[in-house]
Amino acid sequence: MEFLVASAIGILTAGGIYLTLRLRTFPVIMGISLLTYAVNVFIFASGRLTVGAPPILSDGVTTYTDPLPQALVLTAIVISFGMTAVVVMIGLGAFLGSDDDHVDDQPEASNSKAEGQS
Amino acid sequence: MTHWLITPIVLPALLAPFIVLAARYHIGIQRSFSVAGVLALIAIALGLCIQASDGTILLYQLSDWAAPFGIVLVGDRLSTMMVLLTAVLALFVLLYAIGSGWDNRGRHFHALFQFQLMGIMGAFLTGDLFNLFVFFEVLLIASYGLMIHGGGTPRLRAGVQYVLFNLIGSTLFLFALASIYAETGTLNMADLANRVAMIGAADTVGIRVAAVLLLLVFAIKAAVVPLHFWLPSSYAEAPAPVAALFAIMTKVGAYAIIRVYTMIFPPDLSVTAGLHDVWLMPAALISVVVGMVGVLATKKLDRLVAFAVIGSMGMVMVSISLFTPEGIAAALYYTIHSTLAAAALFLIVDLVRTGRANLDLTSQPPVVGNALTAGMFFAGAIAMAGLPPLSGFLGKLLVLNASYESGLVIWIWAVVLGSSLIGIVGFVRAGSIVFWKAQGEAQTGAPSEFERPAALSYIAVGGLLSLLIALSVFAGQVHGYTTTMAAQLFAPQPYMSKVLDTEGKLSKPVADDHSSTQEEGH
Amino acid sequence: MSLFFIVALPFFGALLPGLMNSAGRSACAGVTFTVSLLAFIGLMSNLPTVLAGGVVMVGIDWMPVLGLNFTLMLDGLGFFFATLILGIGLLIIAYARNYLSRDDNMGEFFTYLLLFQGAMVGIVLSDNILLLLVFWEITSLSSFLLIGYWKHLPAGRQGARMALTVTGLGGLAMIGGMLILGQIVGSYDLSVILQNRDLIQADPLYVTALILILLGCFTKSAQFPFHFWLPHAMSAPTPVSAYLHSATMVKAGIFLMARMWPVLSGTPEWFVIVTSAGLITMVLGAVIALFKHDLKALLAFSTVSHLGLITMLLGTGTAFGAMAAVFHILNHATFKAALFMSAGIIDHEAHTRDIRRLGGLRKLMPVTFMIASLAALSMAGIPLLNGFLSKEMMLEEAHHTVLFGSHWLVPVLATFGSIFSAAYCFRLIGHVFFGPVRDDYPAKPHDPKSGLWMPPAILAVLVVVIGVAPFVAEPFVKLVTASVLGGAADLPSAHFKIWHGLVPALFMSIIAVVGGLVMLAIFNPALRLWDRTPRPEAKPIFEAIVEAVTQLARMLILPLHNGAFSRFAAIGAITIIAAGFHAWTTGTLGAPTREAQAASPVVIAGWVMLVAATGGLVLMHRNRLLSLILIGIVGLMVSIGFVFFSAPDLAMTQFTVEVVTIILLLLALNFLPKFTPVESSVLRRVRDAGVAIAGGLATFGLAYYYMLRTSVATPISEFHLANSYKGGGGTNVVNVILVDFRGFDTYGEIIVLGIAALLIYALTETLLGGPVRARLLNRKPDQKRAGDMHPMMMVVVTRVIMPLVMLVGFYIFLRGHNEPGGGFIAGLIVSIAVVMQYMASGFAWTSSRLKYPYHGVIGAGVLIAGFTGIGSWFVGKPFLTSAFTYVRIPPFHKFELATAALFDLGVFLAVVGAVMLSLESFSRLAKRANMEDSEYPMDIDPSRDDPAPATSGQAKEEV
Repeated sequence: MEFLVASAIGILTAGGIYLTLRLRTFPVIMGISLLTYAVNVFIFASGRLTVGAPPILSDGVTTYTDPLPQALVLTAIVISFGMTAVVVMIGLGAFLGSDDDHVDDQPEASNSKAEGQS
Repeated sequence: MTHWLITPIVLPALLAPFIVLAARYHIGIQRSFSVAGVLALIAIALGLCIQASDGTILLYQLSDWAAPFGIVLVGDRLSTMMVLLTAVLALFVLLYAIGSGWDNRGRHFHALFQFQLMGIMGAFLTGDLFNLFVFFEVLLIASYGLMIHGGGTPRLRAGVQYVLFNLIGSTLFLFALASIYAETGTLNMADLANRVAMIGAADTVGIRVAAVLLLLVFAIKAAVVPLHFWLPSSYAEAPAPVAALFAIMTKVGAYAIIRVYTMIFPPDLSVTAGLHDVWLMPAALISVVVGMVGVLATKKLDRLVAFAVIGSMGMVMVSISLFTPEGIAAALYYTIHSTLAAAALFLIVDLVRTGRANLDLTSQPPVVGNALTAGMFFAGAIAMAGLPPLSGFLGKLLVLNASYESGLVIWIWAVVLGSSLIGIVGFVRAGSIVFWKAQGEAQTGAPSEFERPAALSYIAVGGLLSLLIALSVFAGQVHGYTTTMAAQLFAPQPYMSKVLDTEGKLSKPVADDHSSTQEEGH
Repeated sequence: MSLFFIVALPFFGALLPGLMNSAGRSACAGVTFTVSLLAFIGLMSNLPTVLAGGVVMVGIDWMPVLGLNFTLMLDGLGFFFATLILGIGLLIIAYARNYLSRDDNMGEFFTYLLLFQGAMVGIVLSDNILLLLVFWEITSLSSFLLIGYWKHLPAGRQGARMALTVTGLGGLAMIGGMLILGQIVGSYDLSVILQNRDLIQADPLYVTALILILLGCFTKSAQFPFHFWLPHAMSAPTPVSAYLHSATMVKAGIFLMARMWPVLSGTPEWFVIVTSAGLITMVLGAVIALFKHDLKALLAFSTVSHLGLITMLLGTGTAFGAMAAVFHILNHATFKAALFMSAGIIDHEAHTRDIRRLGGLRKLMPVTFMIASLAALSMAGIPLLNGFLSKEMMLEEAHHTVLFGSHWLVPVLATFGSIFSAAYCFRLIGHVFFGPVRDDYPAKPHDPKSGLWMPPAILAVLVVVIGVAPFVAEPFVKLVTASVLGGAADLPSAHFKIWHGLVPALFMSIIAVVGGLVMLAIFNPALRLWDRTPRPEAKPIFEAIVEAVTQLARMLILPLHNGAFSRFAAIGAITIIAAGFHAWTTGTLGAPTREAQAASPVVIAGWVMLVAATGGLVLMHRNRLLSLILIGIVGLMVSIGFVFFSAPDLAMTQFTVEVVTIILLLLALNFLPKFTPVESSVLRRVRDAGVAIAGGLATFGLAYYYMLRTSVATPISEFHLANSYKGGGGTNVVNVILVDFRGFDTYGEIIVLGIAALLIYALTETLLGGPVRARLLNRKPDQKRAGDMHPMMMVVVTRVIMPLVMLVGFYIFLRGHNEPGGGFIAGLIVSIAVVMQYMASGFAWTSSRLKYPYHGVIGAGVLIAGFTGIGSWFVGKPFLTSAFTYVRIPPFHKFELATAALFDLGVFLAVVGAVMLSLESFSRLAKRANMEDSEYPMDIDPSRDDPAPATSGQAKEEV
């Protein structure tokens, strides 16, 4: 089971990285989301895997799964949600302004050659 | 108990929503609240600094839970000093934003500004690694908002890159945190220091990878080559006051490195030997070179300053990578200098912008207020290029002096001195094109289209410059203090015992029964 | 007067001229003069001590840890230079007052001048060599301003840049040298360093330090091969040239060599480097000077030559040489300053400095003629003038100097140089003043007002006095020499006399003078020869180098930082993976401490779907709608996984977040292109795939490693499990951690959400305010519009289930503390319900019924959370401390009331507000985009078949 989870993390990461290296904003955002899934599962796995022992206290139950990573993942999910919304919006704004959703741009393109020698 | 330690976080955190709720449409009210808040922050920060100056460790247990189970804020010499630096910087940046009217070129500037401060303060004060992540996210998302403040397609395009790059950084941060938790089962820095020390030599790959990933996260923030690519465009495209405020954000990365790699992974820790202690220094040296060469190479004034920031962060990192008390002391002095100098230069560049068609390094007709701006640029450039008599030179001497014992001393000296020459040439070149060559230009193009910058803008810049002068005049005292900081960092025992031995709610186990009704701690 | 004042006066005085600028030129010059005069008097007040052979020392700590302290020392040498700097400075100021024209900004000029003066005084009075460095660099900076004073002249700008670059280079080298020196001795104080000759010269780093320090001296004093910057600094106003190049700036290097003489000199390295550099410079400068037609250029190169002479004398390392050097420094300062000023006068009156256009001025400008020729003859080494004496001593010294084992090399070269030196002096006199009066001067030359000729005249008097009665200067020169020598050597007994008898030096002098006259006689053929011989021109070379370096820098930097995000990301990813790999491989790998659990079929099935969805997403990411669906499946699988691995809260959150995110992306996709074109080359895709796979393997390995090992000590979560009920009053430990143990994280988290919403709102405002608005208005929807925008079924259903969903949300919220759920999930559920309304019934209908200002909701949420935290202050507890109690209202069974719930309410509100504000912002864009949206979502859209109303509406909008 550990192997499956670990490999799932690996595959999500790989897919995420690949898409993150694309040239358009949208696939890059997709890639970041995949990376987010990967890291969420990774954090979750850092509490090791336990089946059928949710961290809800009840009398007589002694084994619970590690609740802390779950809390961390929750925080991570929320934050990454906010981030995704933001990046989507900024990307949209950039696209609407230039009808171009490439992630690359040429910062010094606008320059005439600076003649410094006089 | 006193709550002063948390006020630098809570005050802006309450002020911002208040501004959104009450004063969304009244820029005047927003401004006055914002400034008042920052002034209060300075006062509080000053108080904290004084409390911590005698070596006292200030501790604040959130939700009354003892470390490592709850989150704690810790104020030692270093963190309180950084808080004070942030607050002071914020004041002048804010004044400039108001004077130049930048804050009114989009919505919610002041709210975002306050949130930004909250994030930075939290990052400096927290004693918990995951909480540090949360505050990183707070300051980052606020910085996204500020960076694209005022809009404009080029800025938005740069913004997209800035956000995406930092999202990668945040993801990496989470990977690092999870690894650390999996390895040690804790998130509190002091507790980590203890538990990392327990790890045996038999199975070290886990902690080594974790340590490296964490370092890389902070290196991204500190714009260490080759993880610096996000910086030039975002700093150059950001509104000037925002870029000036960002001068402290790279320092957050440097701060985190200092904190984590003196306490949790100290240089003498065997399980993580042969990692950052080996390759951080070369990377830092390359950063210095890239920064200063960039100063010479770039064709726009704002990007020039951005590269100068990379260079001076490189200097800070060089000094940190020595991982000696002298090195850290020098690094901290240089951090203060670099923050103020970078901020001042970004604002000065904006003053130039108000008088020119664009910031390309081509000669254009001079405009009103040129002389004063030129003088300020000269001062700022001297500081940034590390020429006497300003703090940049003193900082450089400190770094060179601290590195005398290092094995790489020849490299360090060659790189630092050589790249400062390149930097000087670059600054001279840019300055003489922008300010002197203008004199040669015919007075074509009605200067009337450019209005003279507001007096408040000049006051803000002047304030930063005079801080630099003060930093140079009182270099002895400041460096003396940073030396005591370094000493405190290299003797973390008091810090750790204060954090871990202070009791909180239920630190002493009580009888376990579900029907216990009134259970309010202790 | 205290030395501090002497140094500080010019610096603080530098503020005055700028202020006095409006008060008129004389006031400006007057105040400057007064400042310098005060400093001068202050200096003189220390004369008795110095004459008594005493040393005045003052000091205050600056950076004691570093060893950089503000300590000043006044001994003979320092006094000598300070006198030159301030004394000649006074004359220069007086001169400049009359020299500068009305359209020159005099305040600016004198400010720079005083800054420079102060820095120079600082150099010669510093006891701490780091402090000396500080002043050293300040002279570079202030001279940069002075040389570039006439900003409109390209030559001025270039000269200034060149000077700063070259001297800056030397300065940086010297930083290194000084630091090494200090590290050797263990102190940066000259008074200590000068006592440690043997220690220093024995140290292995001595040569390094020597070379670095000499680099500083040579660049500053324009020694070969750094001599080229000095002549180009001549584009400065003449007073500047007269000041910088006679008495001050270029003498700084000489001063430092003299200062360090006791500890650095006397070794073969010193002797060879310094002597030969000086010798070459002397000859080279003299030869070039002869053929310069610009008066100032001629003087500039003559300065270079004389500096070489002095350097050579210091290089020999003998006491006599040092004495000769000191004496010549004095003499050179006097006659060279006088000459520069005279050149300035000629330029000022005749409006040209070109020797070829002058001549015959003897009759027109008798006074200037007198001054200039006295000074020039002195420079040529004619008896009864001071130049003769020191030059004689120089030749005498050269006669005894053995370089590279040859006895004649130095004497011959010295004589050779002297010939040319004499020659250009004669040419100066002959071609400028003698000859017939011409009628083609640019302006009618005549003697200027006394203000201009008085300062040089004073110097000329000195020239003669010392020349006739050397014994006047002797004691002083010997005093200075003594302090140069320090303990290193005894003062030479030789006396200054005009007549030494028939010594070799005399013959050499005679050869020089005669040779000079001959050279002048054959000047024209010599000039033709000179013009025909090709020579490297320093300036183009320098400019070329700088330009080349700049271009190189651009080649290195610009292509790398061209904003190619995908490359940045790739580099970043590779760096991270490589660093992690390095850390992994250099570590030790132990055996697993946990055994893997068996995988159930369910898990495998889920795994397969997850992998399939991910793979599909990667392969088909170009179809953006499809990729949205696929990523939805991925998210679904992940949340199911959470359910399976006993994390119900996570599953709920993941699921709800998933829904909202997808809706968000759909809204965005509404504007974006629906397909991603193929752009990257195959090679690139292979590279990316490689990086991706490496990264995948890395995280896989890491995760697998950790999951099979227990943490080094029991995780802190044990405490949370044990105390969540007792201390937190909840049985859902995750929720208790979120709102209590680590409530502060959650606090930050909702603030992140709030900021996100604010940001999106602000951005929308900006977009709608800017040019984007027009684009939106003119935008044609790229998809065919649906027949019924708001399907009847959906509208009805959503409206029916709305209250239900609300109820669910409320329930989830309440039970959160003990069962899976909580404010965050509840918030998402509620917002989804509202979003469904938006989707079903359209924006207009819904927002007309939803009157909540989302700003308010967010703000309220964040504030409630914040104040809940602060609330605990009033019971003397830290921020966010939770308190709870159990109340029992019959007939319900006991339930719990916790402040944490209040905090959770804040979370709830913030989430709802944030999500809604973001979605609303998107919809507002859509609205702007002129997308038809009716108040009555139930009816069918008639405009589908004739889009006329739409266009008309658009027309209206544009008006």
